[in-house]
Amino acid sequence: MSDIPTLSEIIYYILRRGLYHTLLLTALGLLIGFILGISLAIMRVYGAKELMWFSSGYEKLFRGIPLIVLIYIFAFGLPDILWYIDPLELRLGSVVLALSLRSAAYQSQIFRGAILSVAPGQMEAARALGMKGSQAFRHVVMPQALRLAIPSWSNEYAVVIKDSSFASAIGIVELTQAAYFVSVSFREIWALSYLILAVIYFLFTYPITRIFGERQSKKLKKLGMGGG
Amino acid sequence: MDKPILQVVDIWKSYEDLQVLKGVSFELREGEVKVLFGPSGSGKSTLLRCINMLNPPDKGEVFLRGENITDPNVNINAIRAKIGMVFQHFNLFAHLKAIDNVSIGLRRVKGFPKEEARAKALEVLQSVKMEDWADHYPAELSGGQQQRVGIARALAMDPDVILFDEPTSALDPELIGEVLQVMLDIAKAGKTMIVVTHEMGFAKAVASEMIFLGDGVIIESGTPEHFFVSPKSERVKNFLNQLDVLYGSHEKLLK
Amino acid sequence: MILQDRPNPIRELLTVLEYWDHIFSGFLLTMWLYGWALLMGFVLGLILANLRQYGGWLLSRIASGYIEFMRGTPLLAQLFFIYFLPSSLNIPVGDWEIVTSFTILNKEITIILLNYRTLAGLITLGLNSAAYQAEYLRGAIMSVGTEQLMAAQSLGMSRIAGIWHVVLPQALRRVIPAWSNEAAYLPKYTVVVYFIGVKDLFAQAHFTVALTFISVTTYVIIAIIFLVTITLISKGLDILHKKTTIPGL
Repeated sequence: MSDIPTLSEIIYYILRRGLYHTLLLTALGLLIGFILGISLAIMRVYGAKELMWFSSGYEKLFRGIPLIVLIYIFAFGLPDILWYIDPLELRLGSVVLALSLRSAAYQSQIFRGAILSVAPGQMEAARALGMKGSQAFRHVVMPQALRLAIPSWSNEYAVVIKDSSFASAIGIVELTQAAYFVSVSFREIWALSYLILAVIYFLFTYPITRIFGERQSKKLKKLGMGGG
Repeated sequence: MDKPILQVVDIWKSYEDLQVLKGVSFELREGEVKVLFGPSGSGKSTLLRCINMLNPPDKGEVFLRGENITDPNVNINAIRAKIGMVFQHFNLFAHLKAIDNVSIGLRRVKGFPKEEARAKALEVLQSVKMEDWADHYPAELSGGQQQRVGIARALAMDPDVILFDEPTSALDPELIGEVLQVMLDIAKAGKTMIVVTHEMGFAKAVASEMIFLGDGVIIESGTPEHFFVSPKSERVKNFLNQLDVLYGSHEKLLK
Repeated sequence: MILQDRPNPIRELLTVLEYWDHIFSGFLLTMWLYGWALLMGFVLGLILANLRQYGGWLLSRIASGYIEFMRGTPLLAQLFFIYFLPSSLNIPVGDWEIVTSFTILNKEITIILLNYRTLAGLITLGLNSAAYQAEYLRGAIMSVGTEQLMAAQSLGMSRIAGIWHVVLPQALRRVIPAWSNEAAYLPKYTVVVYFIGVKDLFAQAHFTVALTFISVTTYVIIAIIFLVTITLISKGLDILHKKTTIPGL
């Protein structure tokens, strides 16, 4: 019977082996999702009918498919098309792609709601000054929409970092996979390693959603933003 | 000063099935203050938004200093920079301090450099007696203070005419006076203004002409004396009586 | 890596569809899990929401803590923890199962309704969903407002009676839009049970892929099945909502 590692050894191991990929996948997924999501939101709020349909359809599509299925579609499909790329990078790419496309659908909704929440009088006043529509959007609506979106966006961050755990299904060594390595080595601590894993994720999600969630909502109300 | 600053010619506007404006025309000369009043739904706010093309009219034309601003080829943003607007609900930019609210038009629309815009903004805030609040956010200001900043924001652009859309209707009674005072000062300084309001004391004090708008048409127009001494139409008489009963007169709030 | 000829997609589709019985059995199991998880999530979620809103200092904090923890940790980690818990504690789980079988179109379809793995998956999904449903329910309860409860108590109702007869009926009607959201999308999350060996729709997809070597098409079909199911549930709940609205609520 081998020595069962101590609590701190387990924690250290999981973090050391897995944190990098977890954070990498989360950051890329959120970032690409942000760029794509805001574009979709703008399309949906200000765009012509066809753009609105596209954006709406996109949202429905990527909200209706399980993330793991999306990951597998890319993980199996991409190597056929991009056969010259290193397999590990392709697997990472599959997860990033799946996370981004999914996150974009949710971020689109978040930002659409935020843009629509900005009081309509703001846009009116900006245009009355002589600002072009795009200027008014850039300098008056967007700054407020971004602030209004913070609580929901912090929630989306939590979702993406949790979803990154599915990368372990295709062999990427992130936090969940690292916990798996620990657990298979020592049967006695099967459940414990996953509990520790859960706590690690919790420490990455709860503080953020707490600070940027409710507290931020209260701060925004005090500033008088939104209410549109 | 022969040519009028603003010519509003036969404006028609409808929303869905409702015909809100049915052929409204008038002229505005430099330095004049026209007060628009009438029952709600008569199209007063709509008319203002037709003038600065926030809501273009279905039919009719508007000329600013002789230029046809209803022409689709015109640069409407440049035109709007010359027409100021003060809103019933202030519409201050919630994410900007008072000074930035006033300077943003100067910077983004007129292209002033940052320092110059700030200096000018401060000057204008002084004229509305809000310079001490320059670094405060709208949410920290009372309604009357916010509206004064709103007026400053419009003034800073040095517009040819300023449109006031019921500027005091959303204010608590004790705050109305400070805003009316600012508007009085502006009028006395010779600014060209169109004011939609129920504040008859203000109208008596500075209006060059009053226009009664009802059901989308001008029912009667004339000097304040005309209206308060002997209005022609029964409707106008009734309306003025109602106003007197409801609002009393705010003359005591004005100096 | 040799670039393969792309085989005819129609032929691929038909090949995969030959395994419709497996896919269908997976679908049924997924729906089975979904139904129980939703129900469990609702009951537990309702209890948690009430504890959080009306419980004393201690109970409401425990409920809060549970909700925040379940929402702040990945479903996969929760699943593995619960699945491995008995064996880590040296509690035997046994090799039992409850099965049902029927025949359609000359193919026999067998579904394992319950065994240890399915139970573990179901419990995890239920516990997880409860946390999310609790949040929606709490929001709805709060939106009903304290005055309603005060009015009930002023009539002489006990607090619990007031909650049961006045607050909850209104809260449950108000929560329908948000709850429909959770209800419609929960099927998506049931796929996680694949990782503990439950033969749900996703697992059957794997099985089909292993036999046919047609991967992308198979997973796309599965994706479409999920999409259609979720859309139907969503639309169904919408109709239900419209039919049961009370003016002013």
